[in-house]
Order: sequence, then structure tokens, then C-alpha cells
Amino acid sequence: MQLNKVGIGLIAFFGLAGAAFAIVPILIGAPGEVAGILASIGVIWVLVAAGLLWYARRQERKAAHNDWIFQTGIRGTATVLYAGSHAEVNEMPLMSLRLDLEVPGMATREVKRREVMPAFAAARMQPGLTLPVYVNPKDGDDFILVW
Amino acid sequence: MPDVGPAYEELAAARRLEALPGFATGPLTPLLVEAGGASLQPALRGRFDEGVEGVVGQLAYKRNKTFRFHVALTEVPAATAFAPRVFCIRRGRSTRDDEFYGFEARHSKLWTESTALNERYAVSTSPYQDPMWLRQLFSPSFVDWLGTKPPADFSFELAYGALLGSVEDDDPGADGLAALCEATAHVAARVREECEE
Repeated sequence: MQLNKVGIGLIAFFGLAGAAFAIVPILIGAPGEVAGILASIGVIWVLVAAGLLWYARRQERKAAHNDWIFQTGIRGTATVLYAGSHAEVNEMPLMSLRLDLEVPGMATREVKRREVMPAFAAARMQPGLTLPVYVNPKDGDDFILVW
Repeated sequence: MPDVGPAYEELAAARRLEALPGFATGPLTPLLVEAGGASLQPALRGRFDEGVEGVVGQLAYKRNKTFRFHVALTEVPAATAFAPRVFCIRRGRSTRDDEFYGFEARHSKLWTESTALNERYAVSTSPYQDPMWLRQLFSPSFVDWLGTKPPADFSFELAYGALLGSVEDDDPGADGLAALCEATAHVAARVREECEE
């Protein structure tokens, strides 16, 4: 997952509006009860923005790690044995895949992977489909599936 | 809403295409996913060009407003092994106006190696697409063709072997539809040629 323009807008909105709710009533000397309620809302909004930011940074680090595997990893293939979905994230199926992984220099093995995919990609995940994979040379369980 | 029926009838007569009562494409490409399962209506099936067959039709769907495209769908199955996804979309094209999710699947990466191409199109691929193959596909002659020959509002999406060419003109007329079919056929032939090399 990656942050898009809407996400940046949401983080900016919750962060700035939350900070304003928390600080402005105090600065203009609003009555204590009103300032307290607005400050509570403001703190919650700032926490929401911080949570979204943390998630976005985490995804960014994961993407950077995947880029590194793509650059330095061993190329192999993954054959789809099973593909199914029981949940969606933002209108995109969360696919559960069971894959047969074949990588030069490593034993063939069955692995599981969950990926959020756009519907057009999810529709193509059928048993028998073979996709490229890149595997971390130091850790055979660390791989990216090229879908 | 313009009546595009006569333009499709003219195209069918000129190119001997078979009129279909409607055509359900399935969610093959991002634009068809946006359409939420809408059928092509009217729709014609037949030969676009030498060795390229497919379906051409009007795709209309409603989100906050109605979006209308004319699309030509064909297949290049061999492309899946080389380029699961290549999207070449006219800059400024809009396919939805009700985006409200802040996170999206990291399913594409912009390909910016050709300045000439990037002036007119946003080209994106799988994040882990082999860059060498793309460089070969977007040869100077193909980039030149993309920049000058297809209809001005032409875009294409190649996803897992399904190739969808599209234009945004509400009523392109029979000539515009013919140009859409020819442009899509040209892209299909180019992709196929590169897969065979």
C-alpha cells in the first residue's frame, strides 16, 4: 500500500485542524469546558494523523526493502496453487495465495502470501498461473511476488 | 447524450463487423474496473486490422457523474510473461471524481525514460517490471507513432494479456471509431512483435 494525494490531504487536514482545535481555544481564552472539549477532539485528530503518518512511513520502508530485493534478489517463479479472497481493503480484494516457489539454488517449497490487489489483477490469480518472484539471497522466506 | 448508434452502424458496414446486443468485458483493466461491470453498448466484434480481432464499443458508467468512453478490446496473451501491466494514459484523463481512499495498492510505477512520451502520456507499469523489455517495447519509432498518429485522446491499458484502447470523445463518429480500432491494432501488433523477439 502507498499513500496517495487523498491520503496526504487527510493527514494534513487531521493534523492541522486537530492542532488548531487543541491550541486556538486556549490562545483566545475560551471558557474552560469548551476549550477542554475542543482540545480533546483536537488531540484525537492529531493522533489519527500521526497514526496515518506512521503507517505511511512503514509502507514506504517496506517498499524500499522490496526495491532492494528486486535489485539484488534471486529471480525465480511462483505458481499459484490456490487464490481466494474473503475481505476487501478500499474496494480492492485482499487475496490469500498459496504458491509453489521455485528458486535456483533453493529447495522447491509451498508458501502462503497475502496481497491487496486491484480487481483486474485479482481476477487473473487462478491456479496454474506462473509469476516471477525475487527472493532475498539471505532469507528464502523474504520475497516479492511480481503480479 | 449523443446517439452513437449510427456511427457504429456505419463502422460495422464499412469493416464488416458483427453487431452484438451488448458485450460484458469483465474487470480486465483499470478502466473496466472503474466501470463496475458495465457492458459495452453498442458493441461490434470483428477484425480491427491484419491479425488483430476484438470488440469495439461504447463504455458508459456513473460514479458522481457519467463517464463515457469508446473502447477497443483485444488480446495479446504472450504479453503476460513479459509485461503483466503497461498503462499508457493520456495526461489529464479522468476516470473517477469520487476518490476518497487515502491509501492504494502499490501496483504501478511511473516509467519516465522517454521525455517525448511523457509529454502526452503517463506511462506506468508493475513496480517490478523488467525495464529492459520496456525500453525495447518503447522503441523510438513506436514513441514517435504514439506521439503523432493515434487520436488525440487515445490511451491504452495492457493488463495480463488484455489490451484496451480507448478514446474520451462522446461522439467520435465512424471515422473516429475506425481510428481507435487501428490505433489499438497497431499497439497490439507492436506488443506481439516485441514478445516474439
